[in-house]
Formats: sequence, structure tokens, C-alpha cells
Amino acid sequence: MIVTPAAIVRLVLIVILTVVIQAAGMQGITLLGGTIDLVPLVVGAVALWGGAVAGAAVGFSCGLLIDLTLGQDVGSSSLVLTAVGYFVGRYGELNEPAHGLLPVPVGAAATGGYLVGTTVVSLMLAFDASLSILAFRDMFLTLLLNTIFALPVFALIRRILRPVLARDPYDRRRRRATAIESGPIGLRGLGM
Amino acid sequence: MYDKKVVRRRRAVLGVLVAASLLLLTVYFGENGGGFLHGVQRGTSAVFSPLEKGVSVVFRPISNFTHWTGDVFHAKKENKQLKKEVQQLRGQLAQAQTAERDAAELRGLVGLQRTSNFADAGKLVTARVISRSPTVWYSNVIINAGSSDGVHVNDPVVAAGGLAGKVTQVTGGQSTVTLITDQSSNVSAQVMPDGSSGIVRPDVGDPNNMLLDYIQSGAKIAKGDSVVTSGFTSSKLDSIFPRAIPIGRVTKVSPGELDQYSRVHIQPYADLRRMDYVQVLTGTIDQARAQVIK
Repeated sequence: MIVTPAAIVRLVLIVILTVVIQAAGMQGITLLGGTIDLVPLVVGAVALWGGAVAGAAVGFSCGLLIDLTLGQDVGSSSLVLTAVGYFVGRYGELNEPAHGLLPVPVGAAATGGYLVGTTVVSLMLAFDASLSILAFRDMFLTLLLNTIFALPVFALIRRILRPVLARDPYDRRRRRATAIESGPIGLRGLGM
Repeated sequence: MYDKKVVRRRRAVLGVLVAASLLLLTVYFGENGGGFLHGVQRGTSAVFSPLEKGVSVVFRPISNFTHWTGDVFHAKKENKQLKKEVQQLRGQLAQAQTAERDAAELRGLVGLQRTSNFADAGKLVTARVISRSPTVWYSNVIINAGSSDGVHVNDPVVAAGGLAGKVTQVTGGQSTVTLITDQSSNVSAQVMPDGSSGIVRPDVGDPNNMLLDYIQSGAKIAKGDSVVTSGFTSSKLDSIFPRAIPIGRVTKVSPGELDQYSRVHIQPYADLRRMDYVQVLTGTIDQARAQVIK
């Protein structure tokens, strides 16, 4: 990602809108008995398209804002989301994946990492806490719903970030596809 | 292959952000409610309040639709459960009415005046939940009533069915409610009809299960008994919760656990994870003080 004022403005808007929509909008929407958690999906999407530094920075900012607006332990969500953003970003940088369905496993992994991380941090911070069946059920449902909604969320974030990305992974995929196109007489591999 | 400068910068960013998170956590846990970070939290809440209210209103139809769909699926099971509960409550109502009549007569004989309903103890302010955490680990909700509506810190909050928590932060137009499932919560309670008292504490990580601890020895508690507030808190001398606010129903009484740990399990009456509206009991502390002085 090219760090420009326009890129920073876009990232700040993404962070604020994500946290506000999650805290005030999505909290009342229950599907299959669970709730969608947009935050790890957005952090994962920014990290995948923008890289490890952008992912970690957006993860930290989202986590801090969630903790501040919801009255949670300040620093707990930012710690977990920084790690999620960084590792998803590193995965993107090292593998440069361009498959169209990639957001599904990446979204699931980001959500899974966030849920497990939050659980571990909460168990460490809370006195006499226990892991209930209800907590497992909630984690499973959120993971399922986030996996389903990963594609549209990643597509939306890519659309917002596209003008400020150094290179678009899907453009590279298209270039790769063009290289093996058919030759002048219509047979693949006989290009001049 | 990789520019060393880029690698160093990337690692430095990660290190700084992780260190900042740990520092924030340490400072937050080290300071009291009036500390710097708590102040920043209150300020951020106040700044984001109008935006959250707006987003909450925009998403309300979708939320209502998903609730309605969920209700349709659960209606049959819930109907069966409610019919069973009505049968039980009819019997309890008859007993309660008789007991209330006897109690009123006895109070009249000894000249004792006391409010019988917790709602009589103060003014009720109805508010809507505008934001909450999606995980089971956090027990705060933000409501759209604040100091301009007469809400104060420590005002009790009830949801449909029973006690929900208390107000812990107030700004002009919104308040933060710490639920009874928060790890800091301790509510002094009584089991009805036995009358034995104890402290209701949360089972952190399981909002549907709470613990009634430190029950007096010799208590006769059965599954299904009601647990209500006893009228004083464990940590302060002043009463925060008025007497007789329903808290929950006893769900598990294990003789071993009762003897060894003086503990039973209860389920809160209020659906703390799905509640949309709450009522804040304002002015209860002042009135309780006034009654004590009188």
C-alpha cells in the first residue's frame, strides 16, 4: 500500500465506520442464533490487500476504538487484532495469492484467530473465568457467519482501497491468465 | 531478497503496537474509575454517541426482522414452556396474595411502613440498548439515556424479567450499564420463599449461569426457587439495589456444593444478551437514604 494522505483518510474512515456499525448496528442482528463480527473480517481484508504494516495498524486502531466505545478493558482487543492484522498481512505478502475465493479461508482464519485470541486474553484477565458451552457455541456461529459473509466484505474493502494499493492482486491474476492465451491460429501455446 | 530496512520497519511497527496495547492494559487495570484512560473512555463514548444512535436507528428494521424470524422458530417451544410456567405461577400467586395480605395486616399492627414494589422506590426511565459487545466476555451495554434524563452513576437497571445491572458511566445523552454478569458484580440477594441470604456473583464466560455464594448454613433451597435482591450491597454501606428486584431462578442445587462451598447455581430472569430495552431506577439511593434518616 502506498502511504499517502488519501490512503490514511480511507483507513481512518474504514476503522470508524466498522466499529460504529459493529457496535451499534450489527449487535442486534442475530442470524442462526449468532451474530456477525465485522471487525476481524475488515482487519483481515485490509491486511490481505494492504500488507502487514497496514493490517497491524488498522487492527490496533479498530481494537482500541472498540475498547473505548464499548467500555471494555482498554488494550485487550487492540492486542489481539494487531496480531491478526500482522499475520494475515504477512501471509498475503509472502504468498501473493490471487484466487477469487481466497477471502473465504482468510476471513475464517482471521475470525478464528480473533475469537481464540480474545478468549485467551479474557481468561487471563478475568478472575475465576470459565469456558462455557455457550461461549463455544457463540464462537462457532460467529465463525460460520463470518465465513459466509467474508466474500462481500473483502470485495467492499478491496474496492475502497484499490486506488491506493501499490498493486492489485487480481490485476496480476488477469495478467497471468493473458500469458497463456491461445496463439494467432487459435491453438493454446502457439503464440508468436 | 527482502530489503532489510523494510523488514526492520515492519517488525518495529509490530513491536510498538503490541507494546502500546500491553501498556494500555497495564495502565487501565492499575487506575481507578476516575483515571485518565477511564476519562478517555467516557469522552470517546460521548463523541461517538450521536453516530451510534443514528446507526442503531438505521439498522433497527433489519434487527427487528431477524428477531421476528428467530421468534417464529422458537415460538412453539417457548409456548410450551410458558404454559408450564403459568401453571406454576398461578399457584404461587395465590400463596403470595395471601402472604401479602397477612404481611400488610402485621405491618399495620406494628406501625411499619415499607414499599412492597421496587418500582415504588424511585422513578423509572426507559431506555434502548444502542451498543454492546458481540462476545460473551464483556458485560457492558450502552443505553440511550444519560444525565439529561435523570440517570446517575450506580442507578439500578432492570430488563424485562429482572435485574440487569447498574449504571457505571454517564454522559449527557447515554450511559454505560455494567451487567450483573460482569466480573466486578456482587449483588446481595435472598432466596424466596426460604429467605436465606447470599451473594450473587457471575460465572464469567457463561452469562446464562450465575452463582449464589456464601449462603447461610441450614438453608433449604430447591430448584426453581426465586432469588431477589435483599436491599444492600456487599461492597458499600448505602443500598444500591432496592429490595425485591427479581434476579433469577435456582437451576441447580447440589448437596455437596451447597455444604462445601455454600453455593447454588441460578439463571438470570433477564435475557442479558438479547435485551433491547431496559429501565433505569433513578433516585433510589437518595430515597433509601431518606428512609434510613427518617
